[in-house]
Amino acid sequence: MPIIEANRLTKVYKIPEKEPGVAGAIKALFRPRFTSKPAVSDVSFVVEPGEIVGYIGVNGAGKSTTIKMLTGVLVPTSGEVRVIGRDPHRDRVANARDVGVVFGQRSQLWWDLALIESLMMVGRIYEVPEARFKQLIDEFSETLDLKDLLKIPIRNMSLGQKMRAELAATLIHEPKVVYLDEPTIGLDLLVKERIREFIKQVNREKETTVILTTHDLGDIEELCKRVLIIDNGGLIYDGPLATIKDRFGKYREITFETAAEVNGLEVPESADLLEKSERRLVLRFDRTKTSASRVAAAIMSQLEVCDLSLKEPDLSHIVKQIYHGGLKESTLPPVDAIMTPVLSPAGSGR
Amino acid sequence: MVATFKRSWRIYGGMAAVVPKLFMAYSIWVWMELFVSIIAVVIFVAFWRAVYASTTTLGGLTLDQTLNYILLAQIFSDAANVSSVIYDFGAGLREGQIIHALLRPLDYQIALYVQNVVQLVINMILRIPLALFIWIVYGLTLPADPVIWGAFACSLLLGHAVLFCFDWILGCTAFYSTEIWGMSVVRYAVAMFFSGALIPLDMMPDWLRVIATILPFSQVVYLPVSLLSGITPVSDMPRIWLIQIGFLIVLFFLSRFIFRRAVRVITVQGG
Repeated sequence: MPIIEANRLTKVYKIPEKEPGVAGAIKALFRPRFTSKPAVSDVSFVVEPGEIVGYIGVNGAGKSTTIKMLTGVLVPTSGEVRVIGRDPHRDRVANARDVGVVFGQRSQLWWDLALIESLMMVGRIYEVPEARFKQLIDEFSETLDLKDLLKIPIRNMSLGQKMRAELAATLIHEPKVVYLDEPTIGLDLLVKERIREFIKQVNREKETTVILTTHDLGDIEELCKRVLIIDNGGLIYDGPLATIKDRFGKYREITFETAAEVNGLEVPESADLLEKSERRLVLRFDRTKTSASRVAAAIMSQLEVCDLSLKEPDLSHIVKQIYHGGLKESTLPPVDAIMTPVLSPAGSGR
Repeated sequence: MVATFKRSWRIYGGMAAVVPKLFMAYSIWVWMELFVSIIAVVIFVAFWRAVYASTTTLGGLTLDQTLNYILLAQIFSDAANVSSVIYDFGAGLREGQIIHALLRPLDYQIALYVQNVVQLVINMILRIPLALFIWIVYGLTLPADPVIWGAFACSLLLGHAVLFCFDWILGCTAFYSTEIWGMSVVRYAVAMFFSGALIPLDMMPDWLRVIATILPFSQVVYLPVSLLSGITPVSDMPRIWLIQIGFLIVLFFLSRFIFRRAVRVITVQGG
């Protein structure tokens, strides 16, 4: 029985339009005009209990909007969402008890209170039994290293400390579903490690379902077996992470600026020519099969190279590749071959 | 029934812990405020004595009655101040804290109300030095009958709740406009005058008095303080309570309704 069901979720924002200047302001007062901005179009997916799902996309793709609809903070323009069998917007309070949300850039904790007091407050609001509360505090102090933080108010904490505190506060009521919106943003590697371990442990021990929105590939790699990729409001991929990594994560791009025009080039093994212009050459190579130095050496033995640069595959790059995969002429398999058909909402036959 | 109440008490009672601790309050600002309030009191007393120089009664009140009222009003006028509701809303909206409020299994309005009541009690405690000053320097005529004190306390709490709902409605307009600061300034000024903190309503011309009675500000200063100072007889108590309860019921439902609409703005338009 799926724990989250999103069925053709659509969100269109109405942005008030105003011409610049005083005349524009007056016009807007008497005859307000709106432009429609579709943020999410027809997104459908299903999440089973205990899954850790990565939800990725470039900035403005519609991630936050989807998450807000899942948490009930935003009402979809059309389509429906069910979390633990409820409409999260209509059954706000019941949903709130079973759900936890971490917003990477906002804290739910009280600025002036010591962490332990904030946690006690949260414990009271969610009616966590005292004995269980003490147990969880001990657990979290261990896994999130909170022992020294408990007496400190949030305003005196560093970003890494704040995030650990935030996670404790979100999980103290042992929610069934947790939404993590950019939980590791701005954090150093050590803290990221600790947080990822914590999430994995919680998921393992309590079967907590986790929806993770992030730009950090490391998070995705460590935590998620499944990813949803949203681009321009639509879901363009819903399937195993392994597939994406196999197809796209292993490619790097290398760009050469040459002294003379490029003629009659022999492309080295395990590399593909992406772009060729007057004095520019862009190759893509499979780093599991060859290396940057080998490719560079092969090219430099044929041409005089003035400058070269190496580009790592980042998330936006991979997403773009996937998006353009079907359109661009390349030796990559077309997108259709790797796209899992987006689960038909009616197909659950319930 | 009792179990639910106990449960709610635990949940919302916890919200009281969020209100700034008493010990934090005894900072330089509190002493400054005390100093300023004392000056204000001295000025008010001098003013009213001057007004009464050429007459023995005004609006049916003698100098002593008026002074007693004004002094008590000065002590309790805090209740009419801009409640944190308006600021919490404005700030909450700007920083997106409203999302956290929506994601908690709490009724936001009730949670803020509990905090406001605690704040009121703390403010009253902080006024004790001023009350002592007034008692020593000017003397106060206070009722001996504990029933009157009880009536006063009820009236104050009722009036405070009425004002809370009113401010809640004002706060909701923050969803529609960002002019929260300007509005709170106007509200503060209007409240100062129409609450009866400066002038007992008895002295206002009829048309002004009607306005003051319709606005909720008089409920939180004039009504309770006039009871305490003896201007309004205790026999009037039931009538006064009825008025306040009536106001409360209307404003309560109105505030719930408007808040629901305002939340829809956020959830539909994505503030």
